[in-house]
Amino acid sequence: MARYWYEPLTFSEWFKRIFSFLNIALFMFTAVFVFSEFRFDWFEKIVGSYLVSTNALRPEIGAVWETGKQTTNAHEYLNTIVSKKEDIRQNANKAGSFSELLSSLLPGEWVTLEKQQFKSLYLSLEKSTSLKIIDPARLVWLLNGSNLDRIFCEGIKGGIKVFFIDSDNKVIKEIELRKGDIIEIENADKPITGILTDMAGFQGRIYPAQLFFDALLKLPAEIIPDLMVDPDALLRQEGKIIRVGIFNEAVNGYIKLGFEFEASGGNQIVFLKGREWAVWQLSLNLKGAGN
Amino acid sequence: MNFFLRVAAVFRFCFFWGLILISLGSLSGMFLVFAMVKDLPKLPAPLSKIIETPQSQVYASNGQVLISIGERQAVSLGMVSKNFINAILATEDHLFFEHRGVNKLRTLKGLYVTLVSQSGKVEGASTITQQLAKNLFFSFEKTYARKLKELLVSLQIEASNTKEEILQTYINQIHFGAGAQGVEKAAQVFFGKSALDLTLPEAALLAGLPKSPTNYNPFRHYDLALKRRDIVLNRMAQAGFISESEAQAAMLKKPELRHEQSDSRTGSYFLDALISELISKYGEDVVYHGGIKVYATIDTKLQSYAQQAMKKGLENLDNMMGIGENAPDHPQGALVAIDTGSGAVKAMIGGRDYYESEFNRATKSRRQPGSGFKPFLYYTALKDLGFHPATILTDKPVIIPVKGAADWEPKNFSKTFTGPMILKKALTESVNTIAAQMVEKVGPDAVIRTARTCGIESPLQAVYSVALGTSNVTPYEMATAYSVFATLGVMHEPFLFWRVEDAYGRIIFEHIVQEKRVLDPSTTYQLVDMMKSVIDIGSGKSIRALGFNRAAAGKTGTTDSFNDAWFTGFTPTLCTSVWTGFDKEKKLLDSHNIGITGGRGAAPIWAEFMINALGSDPERDFPIPDNVHFEKVDTETGCAPEGQRGGREPMTVPLKTDQQLCRDKQQ
Repeated sequence: MARYWYEPLTFSEWFKRIFSFLNIALFMFTAVFVFSEFRFDWFEKIVGSYLVSTNALRPEIGAVWETGKQTTNAHEYLNTIVSKKEDIRQNANKAGSFSELLSSLLPGEWVTLEKQQFKSLYLSLEKSTSLKIIDPARLVWLLNGSNLDRIFCEGIKGGIKVFFIDSDNKVIKEIELRKGDIIEIENADKPITGILTDMAGFQGRIYPAQLFFDALLKLPAEIIPDLMVDPDALLRQEGKIIRVGIFNEAVNGYIKLGFEFEASGGNQIVFLKGREWAVWQLSLNLKGAGN
Repeated sequence: MNFFLRVAAVFRFCFFWGLILISLGSLSGMFLVFAMVKDLPKLPAPLSKIIETPQSQVYASNGQVLISIGERQAVSLGMVSKNFINAILATEDHLFFEHRGVNKLRTLKGLYVTLVSQSGKVEGASTITQQLAKNLFFSFEKTYARKLKELLVSLQIEASNTKEEILQTYINQIHFGAGAQGVEKAAQVFFGKSALDLTLPEAALLAGLPKSPTNYNPFRHYDLALKRRDIVLNRMAQAGFISESEAQAAMLKKPELRHEQSDSRTGSYFLDALISELISKYGEDVVYHGGIKVYATIDTKLQSYAQQAMKKGLENLDNMMGIGENAPDHPQGALVAIDTGSGAVKAMIGGRDYYESEFNRATKSRRQPGSGFKPFLYYTALKDLGFHPATILTDKPVIIPVKGAADWEPKNFSKTFTGPMILKKALTESVNTIAAQMVEKVGPDAVIRTARTCGIESPLQAVYSVALGTSNVTPYEMATAYSVFATLGVMHEPFLFWRVEDAYGRIIFEHIVQEKRVLDPSTTYQLVDMMKSVIDIGSGKSIRALGFNRAAAGKTGTTDSFNDAWFTGFTPTLCTSVWTGFDKEKKLLDSHNIGITGGRGAAPIWAEFMINALGSDPERDFPIPDNVHFEKVDTETGCAPEGQRGGREPMTVPLKTDQQLCRDKQQ
């Protein structure tokens, strides 16, 4: 086709060619195209509508989404902290003993205890051993007399710390409970297998049962209950008492007494606490009996 | 004829190439749209959702909101002054209601200016929708790809939102500077009023700021902001929003700014320290986007007293030093006040003017405390050497050999020696030679141990001179450590916030005030008694002259070179440390070239603050431990006074039950 093309030689030929139907149609089409776009913005509308249709498939990127993600991250982080605390609180509230409370708190974790709950944990302990945690008189003052606001427990390595806190968030009393101590306190009335002569702290103060009870029964009747503050464990234990030992150290006004039972499965020792002054009276009797 | 043919040829060339270019442009445009669509960001629906970022709030101890972090106050168009809407439209995009996201003629012109003209200028042609797209989704890097993406997103914004929704979102998210994002916040920050109440001059001023919030910040460049405001008013007149005469009338008015200066910074050294601690504990996301509530320890009343005292104190210091208002260098100051019963930080000033320098000198600037360090030495000597306040040592020239270094020859501030004296007098008068003899006996390590026990954490050099305060510490540490003296040896960790809650009020963190006995109470009482006399008759007696009459103890500190002047002191309830000095190594010298001591430079600030801070609180003295009794003593002999020997005023000293006067006449 191009082979047959030639440049117009006359003005009229040029004129004809320029204003040919095809040229005018093309020109009109282009003009309509451009001006309609300027007038009606159809290009923007088509592209905009197309982009709206693809919106759901596109990534959440850009400054505003970043801010949104940061907000989500922050809320997730805060929710993690809160739900962890809630778990700890629920576990702590379910705890029926100090050792259960201890196992519900890892180092650095903390929980607020209700006064009533602490009271029931405390009362679940044997009277003489609960003293090791806090003196009852002091506890009565803290719970019922002071301006105690709440009890705050924090897990530490190998134990827990209990803080009694006033309304100014000030610690008015702090107790540290080590795991070993709690286990010992809670198992104080449970017998252990062994013999008294193998136990440290009783040497030189181990007496035949007959001698011990003879000396004990010589004491005035009002002293005897103070020698055996919680005799339930002794009454529960089966077998025959063969030896009794007196521990060489007083703790919180009490002295530990070890009663060795002869039993078929091996000798067992039950520990009781006696008030220091009553044990001292008994010791005098025992010395007299020995002489 | 030839001419006509040539014109016809050019016309033919242009016409067909124009057609080809339009076709190619359309094709490549479509190709670009398809190619780019997968990289375009998704738009949130509704668009206004973007403004719903929860703000974190910090409350003072009285419940007052100290700061809202990430605050945006979104308002509907109906709650914004028509003046502002017109002003922003006239300035940013007067054809906003006529286009579909892009102003084609302005874009073509912009392209021509940028690509073809020789001016080298890059002409912007962004519509409000394009600006919104940029602010919401794109960085500020200038690339054609980013510009094209921005354009496409703006087309989508237009396709899925009404003009009113777009405009409302726009005015609620633009930055006006000074920490104001959104028109409502801006109206509050700059004029202390709602966006609905903006007058024409105010609205025009605000509408001019987004172009360059820093350069037109009216708090700093009021005249520039007014010039920009006038341009806005002219554009409003040109666009037909107001008449020429209204524009001229508005130009004559100078909008009154809210007095409190503000910007995106916190404006508070305390808040900076608090936010930085929160970030290190929870991370930036939680602090800036978590909507947490933080209950700070700061007491706004005490903070305001601290600011007043520091301002007045530093102005006095300027006068004393003959420093004019326009001098290039002014002395700085720092103050930290701690509640001794809990460790709560009640006030903190980190410098002369936060807006001139954000560097927090209270927590970050380590400076030599000078004699302010002596109480750690005295406590160590009382404890380890069995000394008591009436122990006699002699003020005499001292030369202490130092292994591998030159001998240490400390001098007194007065350059004189006064012979034997009791320790109480030596501390009261801050005698260096006696301190040097004591540190030689106890050793620097023991002094450092005491300082560490009391809460000094900065690196301390184990050299004799550490006892005279040659190792650098911060005012925060000094206030912490002296708080231990105030409680007679009980340490409370200093802290900045009591509680952190999430947006629903659930407790995330709670500070429990724990006491830890770190010093012996009766020995500490003896030290406190000696420090009381520093204020009563010693180097800090200016405090009494200024009218502070409560039971208080403290110690001045001045470095040898007069670079630092300190006073740290306490009552039984509040402990405050004040430092003054230049940031760079420069002496504090008065107009007579005499060095300014802690007693002259820092103590007046301390007194002014403490008088106001304690106000009408009941007066309390330090509790006397059971095993302490008092005896009168001759300051030179260390024995009971026998009449008025040599005109010497006897001193009363606290002794423990196992201590007695004159037992060791001379150590």
